[in-house]
Amino acid sequence: MTPKFKRAWRRAVRGGKSLRSRARRSSGSGEPLGVRPENIIWIFGTGRSGSTWLGSMMESLDGCAMWNEPLVGNLFGNFHYFRVGGRKSGRQYILGERYKETWLGPMRDLVLGGAAARFPELIGGGYLIIKEPNGSIGSPLLMEALPESRMIFLIRDPRDVVASSMDARSEGSWLSERREAQSHTSKPGRNLNTYARMRANSYVQQIEKTRQAYKAHEGRKVMVRYEDLRADTLNTMRRVYAGLEIPVDEAELALSVEKHSWENIPEEEKGEGKKRRKAKPGGWREDLTSKQVEIVEDITAPLLEEFYPDTATARDAL
Amino acid sequence: MIRDAWRKIKGRGTPPAGEEKGGVRPENLVWMFGTARTGSSWLSAIMGEIGGYSRWHEPLVGHLFGNLYYERAGHRGEDEHFILGARYKDLWLDTVRRFVLDSAAARFPEVADGGYLIIKEPQGSMGAPLLMKALPESRMILLVRDPRDVVASNLDAHKKGTWTADLMRKGGKEKPPSLAESRPDAFVKGQARRYVRDVGNAKLAYDAHGGRKVLVKYEDLRADTLNTMRRIYAGLEIPVDEAELALSVEKHSWENIPEEEKGEGKFHRKAKPGGWREDLSPEQVEIVEGVAGPLLRELYPVRSTA
Repeated sequence: MTPKFKRAWRRAVRGGKSLRSRARRSSGSGEPLGVRPENIIWIFGTGRSGSTWLGSMMESLDGCAMWNEPLVGNLFGNFHYFRVGGRKSGRQYILGERYKETWLGPMRDLVLGGAAARFPELIGGGYLIIKEPNGSIGSPLLMEALPESRMIFLIRDPRDVVASSMDARSEGSWLSERREAQSHTSKPGRNLNTYARMRANSYVQQIEKTRQAYKAHEGRKVMVRYEDLRADTLNTMRRVYAGLEIPVDEAELALSVEKHSWENIPEEEKGEGKKRRKAKPGGWREDLTSKQVEIVEDITAPLLEEFYPDTATARDAL
Repeated sequence: MIRDAWRKIKGRGTPPAGEEKGGVRPENLVWMFGTARTGSSWLSAIMGEIGGYSRWHEPLVGHLFGNLYYERAGHRGEDEHFILGARYKDLWLDTVRRFVLDSAAARFPEVADGGYLIIKEPQGSMGAPLLMKALPESRMILLVRDPRDVVASNLDAHKKGTWTADLMRKGGKEKPPSLAESRPDAFVKGQARRYVRDVGNAKLAYDAHGGRKVLVKYEDLRADTLNTMRRIYAGLEIPVDEAELALSVEKHSWENIPEEEKGEGKFHRKAKPGGWREDLSPEQVEIVEGVAGPLLRELYPVRSTA
């Protein structure tokens, strides 16, 4: 079933009697009926790390659908980790630690209910890929609320992430017009170094929370580097499915990889200022100034050393 | 329809979210919205003192949902992938309802027997429209105060060495330098915007709420506390023991706060309606009146410009 067909079917089902048919199903385990929590696959990491590409390859396979950035992780994570300060241990705060049982349940229902309503075709089985890079800040909470679900930790060199983000927000780019309409203020503007610093900081926040969730998660999980995905997509995808313990049809996977390959994207849809920019690991050497490299490396140093030890400090080589 | 279907999918045959036996009755929740520094601590202390009432001090649930819905992802309302998208509003409002009722039941088991729970939520007022929609049986107090006094109070509170710094220190953090010291006019503008955001959304919720509700001005509460309290209980349709109310009003009166706990830089500052004339510069008054003009004219038509 192609993604286009899936979307059309979903619309048709939602407009009709699908909800009743969902009510008839039974999981047989006392689990709420709907999308099975163990069939949920989260993609966490950070924006501009190839999550759309990875999610699209997975969505193309039969019996899969993709929930594109619900921001449910952002809803809880941003609030809990950054906005409430020292209130977490108190009795009053709604997400207080000692009352966790009272809010993990509704959080779980929010995801499962939202999934069942949006993806009725998955109620009898099939996998739901939740692409949530910009909600990674809440990944520890979500993985705790849905421990049966599976997790992909997708990471990319922070220097390339910052370079890509800067391009996406540059004047006339694919994102700038949208953000202009939304009156966002986080575009690079005149002070690119300030933007680089801000983006590197958000990278650290998101990746550290993703790593925390990944370490704590006892279920099926896999860590993927964007660079490995680019270097050998098919074999890396095989590793992804093996890590998630999901059987996959080899031929179907190869077809999906081919369909979504960089080479198959029309030339006019690629390049600077476009959503698909250059897909070139290490491209930051051409994109960032030495000052910007220094800023990003200083802020992300521990993560660079952990995940990219060979090129952790490349500023001197520029 | 989606909400009903999800209940069926869950297959428990349960009543609406959070209404399990022994839970807190949604109609016994009394929300207090407005914004910070409007006297909500005082008002909730008076109400919480009376038998049969408990007080939930700033759960921030309104901020949790309101911040993403109205501010950070306001542009995604129509996107059907967005977790708080308009198409699935019934569904996620059900979750909001459960969040509140389950959390309330766990924290205040005594209220399950039929008491009232005052939820003091001035800093979650941004999400008031969502909360009142999720819990339409609950009751609501909209507490307002002249924005110029609110901003003046905040300006004082955020200066160096004040009670807000003490509060942060208790939480293990040092208060970072505030704009209130370095760029007071910018601070004033930011606070005026916050007033508009909080009180504006609380007013939207108040206007839309079909249940029991009352609008209270801090100034009226200061001028005649006992009679204003009587009006509040009447508006909320909650019986109250007259003698107990009078005792609570007396106990929490400004005059009964020890002198050493009052004054500049303290939580209890001056409690003086119109005190902004002494606290704000003419430029700062102009800033507040410019930003909060429409609300000021609506809530304080007689003295809306200085």
